[in-house]
Amino acid sequence: MGTVDLQHVTKRYGNVEVITDLSLKIEEGSFTALLGPSGCGKSTLLRMIAGLEEITIGSCFIDGVDQTETPPSKRGTAMVFQSYALYPHMTVRQNIAFSLSLAHASRQVQAQQVERVSKMLQLDQLLDRRPAQLSGGQRQRVAIGRALVRDPKVFLFDEPLSNLDAALRSQMRVELAKLHQDVKTTMIYVTHDQVEAMTLADKIVVLDKGVISQQGSPLELYNQPANKFVASFIGSPAMNFIAAELGSKNGNAYTVTLPGGHSASIATRGGTASGNSVDVGVRPEHLRLGAAGAAGTSFDGKVGIVEQLGNSTLLYVDTPAGTLIVEAEGNLKVAVGDSVGLTLDPSRSHLFGADGKVI
Amino acid sequence: MAVSDASGATTGVARKSSRYNWSEVIVAALFVLPFIVVYGVIFVWPTIQMVWLSLHNAPLIGPGKWVGFDNYVKLFKDRLFSVAFWNTAYFVLLTVVPSTILGLLIALGINRLKGWAQSAILACFFIPHILPVSVVFRIWGWMFDSQFGILQYPIEAITGDHLPVFRTLPLFMPTVAWITIWWGVGFNILLFIAGLRNISPEIYEASELDGATRWQQFSRITWPLIWPVTVLVLTIQLILQFKIFDQVYLFGNGGRVDATMTLVQMIFRNAFQKNMGGYGATVAVVLFAIIVIFSVLQYQLLRARGGEK
Repeated sequence: MGTVDLQHVTKRYGNVEVITDLSLKIEEGSFTALLGPSGCGKSTLLRMIAGLEEITIGSCFIDGVDQTETPPSKRGTAMVFQSYALYPHMTVRQNIAFSLSLAHASRQVQAQQVERVSKMLQLDQLLDRRPAQLSGGQRQRVAIGRALVRDPKVFLFDEPLSNLDAALRSQMRVELAKLHQDVKTTMIYVTHDQVEAMTLADKIVVLDKGVISQQGSPLELYNQPANKFVASFIGSPAMNFIAAELGSKNGNAYTVTLPGGHSASIATRGGTASGNSVDVGVRPEHLRLGAAGAAGTSFDGKVGIVEQLGNSTLLYVDTPAGTLIVEAEGNLKVAVGDSVGLTLDPSRSHLFGADGKVI
Repeated sequence: MAVSDASGATTGVARKSSRYNWSEVIVAALFVLPFIVVYGVIFVWPTIQMVWLSLHNAPLIGPGKWVGFDNYVKLFKDRLFSVAFWNTAYFVLLTVVPSTILGLLIALGINRLKGWAQSAILACFFIPHILPVSVVFRIWGWMFDSQFGILQYPIEAITGDHLPVFRTLPLFMPTVAWITIWWGVGFNILLFIAGLRNISPEIYEASELDGATRWQQFSRITWPLIWPVTVLVLTIQLILQFKIFDQVYLFGNGGRVDATMTLVQMIFRNAFQKNMGGYGATVAVVLFAIIVIFSVLQYQLLRARGGEK
């Protein structure tokens, strides 16, 4: 078990509304990432599920039981904090066993549970150390161990990897993914890092200013963003947006005139445009690099900046549509100032209306 | 250090000599000198003088006659010293632990408040600490005044009559101790609040999720984490209260002064009122030794116990 169902949840601090009428269902055993920029309300939402914040309006059901008024320890949730929040005066063993000791579990049970969890997280050599004697990654594992020992229905992670360096972060990401495969417990994971969300989660909920902007699988969000906010937030480097003039509609596609005079036919996702201008969204890897002035080219431009990342090359090309980012192959021979032609892939391009929603 | 070649060794030596060149040593000495001079003049030298004076039968100012440890022998036979010692010890007992506990309890309460209410209440508790002792004496003198003191109403309700608290020997020390706690608890509160603010709120949230009750949060988290501050407060209070003088002197004035005498009062009386500098210095040396021994012992013992937890 471990379903979470938030129904019409609103959270206010005084007159400031941080979550507005939000409803969300989280399936049993899923790994859901709550993704959004700072201040979008994702941590608040997680803390409301944990019971650390009161819900102003609405209800929170866990396993079908209304837990809105239930104290945090009785909800069957366990949380891993950004700062780890380990008890600094206790050893790793005492930290992990703390909840059991509060519940007056026998010493034998405590020892068994600590052994089980510490083996799972490779903490068995560190049990007598204090948090101050551990590295960042080890502390993170203790925090996870402390959550794990409670055998919760739902794991809540509040940006757990943001205090770690890049190498350790990717290592811990793999460990978390493995942990989820092993325990198969529902996990809700708050992050502002879209890479973490994309790699770990089977469902991503993108939040913007306290409302759900879009929810779906990582690839759904990547390939079919519902609006400009999601399109720009998911994917690195971010999607290019090109202001274009709307032309005629042929079946399911609009012909648009791009800055510089070239035109392209881009399929809609079933919507109809209003007004005569749209934003064309195209990801850096969906812009093809060619010779300047070649037939079929969408834009001609000059290379402004070259970033060689080894496995790919990022080009910042100055075009009539502004600076566009292009992702090309890793061993590309190109220099700053070179004239290039860019062709957008119409089948991988998106049309956004004036309201920012996809057409 | 292994040096591979001669030039390397030369470089090493050159570096070493440049690191300790004389101009830097002189500059360093100039920076340190003011402290050494001030510390020497106002602490080390007077302390040596005090010990020296205690070995003489001498007035406060001027030469005296060497008597060796006679003053100490005389002191330990002096009935007034025994009274002063036990009065001081009793006062320390009545103030140090209660003012620490009270400070912690009030700090815990204030720490739960937020915003302006927290600042306002903290200020209320801290204001007495900035009052001079004469004002404290006046305030509580009036409050306990046996004729018109406001506290005579509850006293009368309990005892059936007005009571001259500062002239009733069994009540004298507890009352002065209470006034001292009221006067100084603000400082303890401040130290405890600083300590409590060092404990991350997320630790309490984590313990809430772990199922800790409010009492368990205090006993298993706050108390062990605030222990170093508690040791500090206890030690500061111990040193401070061993040196009790002003309040007892002011409130006891006109009463049975000998019965309420404390150690610093005894120093004052011998050195400044009877001009027995040597004997006064002897009491001072003994008090100095008591404070050093007790405070160092207490600090080390409590700190060690905290470390074992």
